Amino acid sequence: MIATLHALWQADSGFPSGSFAFSGGLEAFFAAAPQADGTTLAALLRDTLAQRWANSERVTLAAAYRAGTDLDAIARADAALEAATLVQPLRDGSRRNGAAFLAAHDRLGTQGVARLRAACRSGICLGHLAAMQGAVFAALGMDLATAIAAAGYAGAAAMVTAVVRLGRVGAIEGQRALASVLPLLADLAAAAPPHGALPEGFLPMLDIAAARHARSALRLFAT
Amino acid sequence: MAGGRTALLHQYVPYPFHITRPFYPNPPRPDLAALYLQSASGGVYAGDDLSLALEVGQGAAAHVTTQSATIVHACEAAPARLTTSASVAAGGFLAYLPDPLVLFPAADVAATLDITLHNGARAIIADAAAMHDPRGEGRAFARFHGAITVRDASGAVRLSDRGGVDGAALSGPGVLGGWRAWGLLLVLGPANLLPDPAALEAAADAAGCFAGASAAPGGLGLAVRLLGPDGGTLGRCIAALAADAAQALTGCRLLARGK
Repeated sequence: MIATLHALWQADSGFPSGSFAFSGGLEAFFAAAPQADGTTLAALLRDTLAQRWANSERVTLAAAYRAGTDLDAIARADAALEAATLVQPLRDGSRRNGAAFLAAHDRLGTQGVARLRAACRSGICLGHLAAMQGAVFAALGMDLATAIAAAGYAGAAAMVTAVVRLGRVGAIEGQRALASVLPLLADLAAAAPPHGALPEGFLPMLDIAAARHARSALRLFAT
Repeated sequence: MAGGRTALLHQYVPYPFHITRPFYPNPPRPDLAALYLQSASGGVYAGDDLSLALEVGQGAAAHVTTQSATIVHACEAAPARLTTSASVAAGGFLAYLPDPLVLFPAADVAATLDITLHNGARAIIADAAAMHDPRGEGRAFARFHGAITVRDASGAVRLSDRGGVDGAALSGPGVLGGWRAWGLLLVLGPANLLPDPAALEAAADAAGCFAGASAAPGGLGLAVRLLGPDGGTLGRCIAALAADAAQALTGCRLLARGK
């Protein structure tokens, strides 16, 4: 039961991981698409999870999780995600959230986190959120499927919160969109990514929206 | 290099490839060779496994493109594979700008592009594809997978753009958003010679496409994602953006013969 409670704790939006300020390009999409609504949000969540997160952040998380305390292996997973994230605002946001996530766990005294933060400071690691989640969730004793579920849910919930805060989608519609992707998240958690997989994704529209939005003056969220 | 200009020193081009002799159409860079790849086969077919390797020598400069778009036909029997590698030696420049792949209904193709940049090398690399149903019935391709890797002189991977999509998944608003062609343009060179990302995006808008440009990972340069209404429009857009990027990187706009 403690692993389940750890997962609930880490997926909760109250945990200061920085994810609340990360819309993954959805804010940019909504800014450019005045007709977008709750149905669009549900479709974008599905696209983001299936076409990016499933084969990118999820693969990185699993690689870092499997690395255990092997810092070089965690750093390799971290560097692979850096190389695979071509859009600078998404890359920067992922690293910023990873730093916030580690800072919170460091202050809480979570096992192994001081070593990870030192590795980030010295440049051994870059500190992408997915890599840090993999390492920390393993240290917390979660099984891999639960770790994937917690990270995926936290990311999806953050995207919903971002769009609801923009005032474009109501709270209930947002929760309907989030609920609609739970079966997909469950499938992604149940099937562990293959060992040695490289991060990949195919989401040109949201990538372009995120890249262009970085230069927009009016922004509420980091991406 | 030979006689002050880039020469085609070695070539091995078995069926279905053909390569033209080098042209030198750029007065500001008389050393820059333009090469056109041609195919005698009418496209890519089920089970094809085609490889292309390019090597740009020290200080040499080449613009390599295709004569026209490459059609990928239905691949019910077996997926097709396209493997391209390019190495650019110190001080060299490569513009590799093939026209988009045109994915016919039931096309199934995996394309890999492996670039190695040695110290001081510069490159402009395009990779694009479009879906097209010649019967106009909206039938999608079966599967597309692309993988572009850029390595430094030590062999370390600095950029890895891998992604695949099933034809059935294209309808998602975050995937193509209603566009039918997609691509990536990499402008790889020192920061002080890179074009303005906002200007590239504006040029894409003017060409009827949609682009997002930002700093590429590894301090390599710029990565520009692109969407277009069809392969032809996207191909012309990429040529226009590549000309702007080449002007910034090399002082020459990559003039070419009409295709």
